[in-house]
Amino acid sequence: MINTIRSELLKMRTMPGVWVTFGLAFPLTILYMTGLFAAQGYPGHTFSSVQGVAHLRQLLGAGYFGITFLAPILGVICITGEYRNKTMTSTFVLTPVRTRVLAAKVGVTSLWCVLLVCLSLVAVFAIGLAWNDALGGSSSQVVDQFGAVVPGLLAATVLLGLFGLGFGTLVQNQVAAILLTIGMTFILEMLLVVLARAIFQYNLNWLPSAASQALAGELARGLGNRHDPALQLLSWWKGGLVMLAWGLIPLALGYFTTFRRDVT
Amino acid sequence: MTTGSSIRGLPIEISGLSKHFGDVVAVDDLSFTVEPGRITGFLGPNGSGKTTTLRMLLGLVNPSAGQATIGGKFYRDLPNPSGQVGAVLEATSFHPARRARTHLRMVARAGGHDESRADVVLDLVGLADDALRKVGGFSMGMRQRLELASALIGDPDILILDEPSNGLDPQGIAWLRDFMRYLAGEGRTILVSSHLLAEMAQTIDDAVIVSHGQLKAQGSLEAITSGLAGACMQARSPEADRLCSLLDQEGIRFRRLAQDTVAIDGVTPEHVGPLLATNQIVLYELSNQGADLESIFLELTSGLGFGDVSPSS
Ligand SMILES: Nc1ncnc2c1ncn2[C@@H]1O[C@H](COP(=O)(O)OP(=O)(O)OP(=O)(O)O)[C@@H](O)[C@H]1O
Ligand SMILES: [Mg+2]
Repeated sequence: MINTIRSELLKMRTMPGVWVTFGLAFPLTILYMTGLFAAQGYPGHTFSSVQGVAHLRQLLGAGYFGITFLAPILGVICITGEYRNKTMTSTFVLTPVRTRVLAAKVGVTSLWCVLLVCLSLVAVFAIGLAWNDALGGSSSQVVDQFGAVVPGLLAATVLLGLFGLGFGTLVQNQVAAILLTIGMTFILEMLLVVLARAIFQYNLNWLPSAASQALAGELARGLGNRHDPALQLLSWWKGGLVMLAWGLIPLALGYFTTFRRDVT
Repeated sequence: MTTGSSIRGLPIEISGLSKHFGDVVAVDDLSFTVEPGRITGFLGPNGSGKTTTLRMLLGLVNPSAGQATIGGKFYRDLPNPSGQVGAVLEATSFHPARRARTHLRMVARAGGHDESRADVVLDLVGLADDALRKVGGFSMGMRQRLELASALIGDPDILILDEPSNGLDPQGIAWLRDFMRYLAGEGRTILVSSHLLAEMAQTIDDAVIVSHGQLKAQGSLEAITSGLAGACMQARSPEADRLCSLLDQEGIRFRRLAQDTVAIDGVTPEHVGPLLATNQIVLYELSNQGADLESIFLELTSGLGFGDVSPSS
């Protein structure tokens, strides 16, 4: 198992798509922070430092903005890269126990998702805090929110990655899987939430984007619901369970249908 | 051909193996054994089920019936698959952005082998100078060599090669032949598929011949060819049409090879010579093709079989 994971790590490391995803995480975090400082601005000052718990947390968790779609993409790439480049045959010859291949991919996707969070935190610490200080804010106040923000951020990111991995396994086609996961979280979900409320007065809060926000917990509460302030989020642990299901159900379906199929 | 070092490897046993893809019967109740320490050619025309059989052996395709084992175990149950078996398969691919050496390091890791093996095998297949090039820029022949290098990463006792000469130029094929002999010289077991018997004849010890997914012959190459010696004649005549209708009347099997050339199967010159003389057919040439490999192969795989001559060992 360790061998398979080590091999998968090297495999991921040598896929350009992975680096593109990582490359985007940094500027997107900076973009979000810029927006955040701008939102605090007042006449005469375009940017201003963050004040108040909610905004402090938003600054620390600025990476979450990009992560909501970068993490699923990472998961999708991890599995569909094999179908796209027709490397599944050699992967299975090297590791004939297919559950082991899938388990290694779960592990590697999780690990890369953690790195994605680390990268966003580097952006926050290297640029965000200095900028906040320059605007007259307090770095230590931001750092104090670490415990409230980072665990939820990590958990949400990893599960968003598995969500991508699950759909990638099920769909196999890279472009389709990316469109499906991103389209689902960003467009379809918003639409469904609004429709559910308008037609059935139903609080549709268990779709991936809302569930992962719930899991991000204190951070998300600080954020408010990005898409829809009227939506009542689940508690953090229910959100976590729902997100786990969004990853594991497609993964299991994919495993029992396409993944076990003949490789000809 | 496999002289020298001690025998390495385990017997490969295919028993009652079948595979259906919908209505297509790719492999049909196939049974044969590959002896360790020998080079066995797995021969059959296009679409005869070679690739499907090898993929079932490696656990890539699930058999509809029967089983394929290595030393009595399924490939996926081997404790160290890539250390025991190396495979070069058709239609495998590499990530184009990966460097040859990185690809091999990845392969080494997956099998739990030392990453320094990457350089050893690159050297073995003559790709040492291209180690740092991206695979996307590799030629067909270089990819085939890289596949071989991947197969050799765990220094396996058994090699399974599916049409390894595909895409190789004549020099490449000659190189491959020498390379297979070299590997076999180390006592390894090699199962190599091909749709060309002639290409393999100088390399293999044993042959397994299949057609339409069924076994047609199995045994040492000598046994297969000697059992059939004298079984094929070739006649050149300006009266080929008359010749053909005569053979037809006599119930002798033949194949029209060209306007004036006919291959006559399953008969000896002593039989066919007087027959043609009696019927006054003009001949420019009558030659005994004997154990012409390609004719044997064509005969065996055309689905007609050889009647009373049974080359199965
Ligand atoms: N995935 C598949 N779906 C449907 N039919 C298939 C599939 N794979 C193979 N076949 C069929 O099974 C038969 C055997 O194919 P196979 O590839 O095993 O032959 P082969 O002996 O390797 O041929 P070649 O010399 O051309 O490589 C063919 O008729 C082929 O069309
Ligand atoms: Mg084939």
